[in-house]
Amino acid sequence: MKDHKLAFVVAIILLAVSSAISLILGRYWIDIGTLRDVVLSAITGQDGGQSLATPGLVLWSVRLPRVLVAIMVGAALSVSGAVFQGLFRNPLVSPGILGVTSGASFGATLAIFTAGNSLLAIEGSAFLWGLIAVTITYQIGRRSGNSVTSLVLSGVIVSALFTAGVSFLKFKADPYQHLPAMVFWSMGSFNSIVWGDAVRVLVIITIGLTVVYLFRWWLNPIALGDEDAMTLGIDVPKARLIYIFIGTLVVAASVSACGNIGWVGLVVPHMARIIVGADHDALIPFTALLGGIFMLTMDTLARALPGGEIPVGVLTALIGAPFFAYLLMTNERRGGWQN
Amino acid sequence: MGALLSVEGLCFGYRKKQVLHEISFRVEKGAICGLLGPNASGKSTLLKCINGVLSTHRGEIRVAGKSIGGMSRQEVARLMAVVPQQMTLAFGFTALQMVVMGKAAMLGRLSLPSGKDRSDAQGALDELGVGALANRTFNELSGGERQLVLLARAIFQDTSILLLDEPTSHLDFRNQFMIMDLVREMTRTKGLTTLVSLHDPNLAARYCDQLVVLKEGRLHREGPLDKVFERETISELYGMEVVLHRPKGGPVAVFPLHGTTVL
Repeated sequence: MKDHKLAFVVAIILLAVSSAISLILGRYWIDIGTLRDVVLSAITGQDGGQSLATPGLVLWSVRLPRVLVAIMVGAALSVSGAVFQGLFRNPLVSPGILGVTSGASFGATLAIFTAGNSLLAIEGSAFLWGLIAVTITYQIGRRSGNSVTSLVLSGVIVSALFTAGVSFLKFKADPYQHLPAMVFWSMGSFNSIVWGDAVRVLVIITIGLTVVYLFRWWLNPIALGDEDAMTLGIDVPKARLIYIFIGTLVVAASVSACGNIGWVGLVVPHMARIIVGADHDALIPFTALLGGIFMLTMDTLARALPGGEIPVGVLTALIGAPFFAYLLMTNERRGGWQN
Repeated sequence: MGALLSVEGLCFGYRKKQVLHEISFRVEKGAICGLLGPNASGKSTLLKCINGVLSTHRGEIRVAGKSIGGMSRQEVARLMAVVPQQMTLAFGFTALQMVVMGKAAMLGRLSLPSGKDRSDAQGALDELGVGALANRTFNELSGGERQLVLLARAIFQDTSILLLDEPTSHLDFRNQFMIMDLVREMTRTKGLTTLVSLHDPNLAARYCDQLVVLKEGRLHREGPLDKVFERETISELYGMEVVLHRPKGGPVAVFPLHGTTVL
């Protein structure tokens, strides 16, 4: 990590700057001076007077939870992407491609269908079905050649199944009671984040990311392949279980907070690898930072672009897909992906 | 000198197919033991059973008298290091990062390799003469350079037993000798006990102290080089007429007699 001090410092500054911009921008404009006054009055405990009441409310109740959740969800999706890529020694996978995201979306939709809007049920069900989806993907991939391609294809199969499941539930859902909530999941957006939900999501993601951070170096030998990792002294089945569990947990927490946001988990780890290299020691924390910056910037754009707010999932795909195309086309030059 | 590594009655199979039948042999402390046999004779499988990557059905592996049966992966990795067959990575790890991974067997689960571990790993690369490759991406290295990096990693793992799975396959003529010279040097200077599977009986004759010969998953012969390395054994093993040439002071060499005449 020490070799990349500059990259980390720049990323932290960028995160701070993009947070400040995100707090200021929006339909209710808050200038830098007001932002400073609101923060100061909160720190010193002094009442800032009537003029700070409205901006204070907008900042504390609306923008701050949204900014925090966007950063943490970006970090969670990106880190779990990096974890899954290392775990399956496959740079082409992500929670989306492995079916975790669609499994979790199915779980969330199923919970809305059966249990209404209980967030705890949605989170639990998203986690359970995300775990089921990644297990099926892994098993199909392993039984069909255990290659980069077979794992990706098996993820495509599993994603298609669960997406069909989501569509079926939408079709069957009560159009007035449940359908609007279901449609919300499939788009991916941060616009209904309130403190109550935010805190729970932030706590789950923080715990998950801390565990990954503590065990990050072990992804290096695991990324060499099962046999090699075993000869280096790693209990691969146990390690795999822990990483899949945590990776799925943070994705499920993200999906239940803001729906299905694609491409982040695939693209951000690649960007991070280009900057700090493959060593997970630096890669994991840097991926978290970069994922936070990326998601926050996308969300700020999504709500600040003229013409009304658009779902952030649309934007991440608009940026993520072309970037991944670029990676594919320049892949040979950077050492290639192996089958 | 006693046997450091002993294999007793080892059997292994996949589902219906039995691959290894009742393999027993001992490798003396400090020796280089060659594992010879034609393709599909079970050499790689045997090495994987010995280091526990494949779990054996029957039989026992002992290191200095102690069975590795109940040991954890990490405990086994402190006893034996493996140089795998030619490998290509999915990610752009550098040579130095590869070598540092040899430390995994020694680290606590929540610890990371220290700065000293990194400089020691650099030392292992220097020792094999490839220190300059430290920051190069492993996948960009040539076949010979990759084998050296993997050998450096195994040395850095600091075990008493070294297992090598066909370290010379995919290498050009010169590099085959270069790798085997270093394997011999490391075995002698570090006091290792080495088991190496080889395709080429000439390399076995040149570098090994003892031989284990496998044919169709069974132990064909085993013992000191000069007892086992005979014309009949090699002929039977590969199914072809051969002659042995014993130059004065040099290692014995084997040549095919009539091309690849099948007996």
